Amino acid sequence: MSGSDAEVLVKRGGASAPPALVRRLFKLLGGSGPGSAVDARRAARSTLFLFLGPALLLYLAFTVYPVLRTFWNSFHTIKPHNVEEFIGLANFHELLAKDVVFWKAVGNTAIFAIVATIADVVGGLLLALCLFSGAPLAKLLRVVWFTPVLMSYVVVGVIWVWIYDYDWGLANSILRSVGLGALERSWLGDPHTALWSVMITHVWKWLGFNMIVFLAALHALPGDVLGAAELDNCGWLAKLVYIIVPMLRPTILNLLILSFVGKMMIFDLVWIMTGGGPLWSTETVSTYVYKRAFDWNTFDLGYPSAIAVLWFLIILAFVVVLTQLLRQRDRLEF
Amino acid sequence: MRGSGPLWLAPLRRSPLLIFILLYTVVSGGPFIWVALMSLRTTPEIFASPYSAPSPPHFEKFVDAWTKSNYSTYFWNSTIVVVSAVALLTLIGAMVAHCLARYRFRGHRLVRFVILSGMILPPQLLILSLFQILLEFRLYNTLVGLIAVYVAGHLGMTVYILEGFFAQIPQDLFDAAQMDGYSDLEIFWRIALPIGAPALFTAVTLNFIILWNEFLYAVVLLTEDDKRTLPLGIMHFMGSHQLDIGMAATGLMIAILPVILLYAFFSEMMIKGMTAGAAR
Repeated sequence: MSGSDAEVLVKRGGASAPPALVRRLFKLLGGSGPGSAVDARRAARSTLFLFLGPALLLYLAFTVYPVLRTFWNSFHTIKPHNVEEFIGLANFHELLAKDVVFWKAVGNTAIFAIVATIADVVGGLLLALCLFSGAPLAKLLRVVWFTPVLMSYVVVGVIWVWIYDYDWGLANSILRSVGLGALERSWLGDPHTALWSVMITHVWKWLGFNMIVFLAALHALPGDVLGAAELDNCGWLAKLVYIIVPMLRPTILNLLILSFVGKMMIFDLVWIMTGGGPLWSTETVSTYVYKRAFDWNTFDLGYPSAIAVLWFLIILAFVVVLTQLLRQRDRLEF
Repeated sequence: MRGSGPLWLAPLRRSPLLIFILLYTVVSGGPFIWVALMSLRTTPEIFASPYSAPSPPHFEKFVDAWTKSNYSTYFWNSTIVVVSAVALLTLIGAMVAHCLARYRFRGHRLVRFVILSGMILPPQLLILSLFQILLEFRLYNTLVGLIAVYVAGHLGMTVYILEGFFAQIPQDLFDAAQMDGYSDLEIFWRIALPIGAPALFTAVTLNFIILWNEFLYAVVLLTEDDKRTLPLGIMHFMGSHQLDIGMAATGLMIAILPVILLYAFFSEMMIKGMTAGAAR
């Protein structure tokens, strides 16, 4: 019903100048731009209030206010029953100078963010190329390969905890069956392998996402360029390195940023699979924030807030730098 | 997929590629099939041989999981939270996106910046003070509180997706509607929304999947058992049935099945929705 309203309007539509009186009135009110478009784009204050009001109210109460309060908290000791004490930069000082676990968590998160991001993007590109190069059943396969992306971390985490189980898990079963029983271990229980095991699960979950984005970008490439390379008898590796990768550069950088930022905040999968253990070997900044706030007996929300604030500023710096990088490259490229 | 040349010959030339493709298909889909098999077997059967097919299949395990634990509660809690949050998000997100795309006003850039910057805020920056704030608002341990947090937290992404689409609707259309005496609200409701339907569907799918799977906010803001959402319920179930792998697998399958069913019918839409933020 409402759809047909719109259609009628499309047929009838045409540039329609607003009455001169309105235009003059608008100028009187101090509008800057001339022309009819500006008039039509003005709105009464009540209209703006109606459209923006509910969203801004919720957003101020449940996003802006909490963010400001976390910043405020980071300079305080916050104990239950409204006991708050201003301590200046003491939280940050302890964090940077004395907290061994924090630095362990930073190291783990950095390894995770760098290695898993590269694995995600490179793997996603390779999978996309497999389907792009005309694999049979490509349409069906991309749907199947995307399935893990849709599953919750809880589902994925529990399944992989079973896969890594020492006694009957798939990983050890495969090793035993091919005669590599010497390599079997408790993948999540061993501090040397726990982080890497969680990382494999994370990459497994997100590969399909990167694959889909790359596949869309590949299909959007101008066909004549690849055709010309074909005529020049260009090998597939040369084609990949000299033609496809440079042309996909905006997509690659975009995915690198998205993937990296996501992994800097990783919480769910680690929490579900290892809880940060064993021996802090999978502790990430986010799991440490959670633990300091809700699991430790310090009952202090100020210190974990300081961690969250510091980490946010670091992520923000990365986003700004990487985005700048992306823009520059784009300008050079085209 | 129709390639060039005889179809049955082509695979032989590219067998390494095909082996890899087959392998990755098993790796990405296999674990779900494994859980599906286990969900129909009892724990003693699984421990005797973890990778066999169910014989006979124990379908009654699903009834047990649903009735004997709190699974139905978790499921309905998740449904209530996600459906309300997605409906609210779509409505007020579309209102903001329409307003930003159509009107020029003082503070336009500030409002846009503030709302879109919500996209890059890490949950950890919000979660600690949200815990305090919800306690003060008396919304801690309530579904309403979680819904409000979800709507505020995903507003940025929703507006981002919708605004780009709304901005492409020709201004002439709105001018004509105004000439015809449509009010601002009617223009939004009867023109912008119907035309923006494809973008709205994208936003709905994205928010639905993300919120259905959400774990961090829920685990901090809900602690009572009868308030738990499905992901929390599964974790709780895992805790209390740790050694009962068979039953836990059935529980997992209850969480997996609705997603798989939706995916079977709306796969293209869900793929498009999930990647909407990444495609430029």
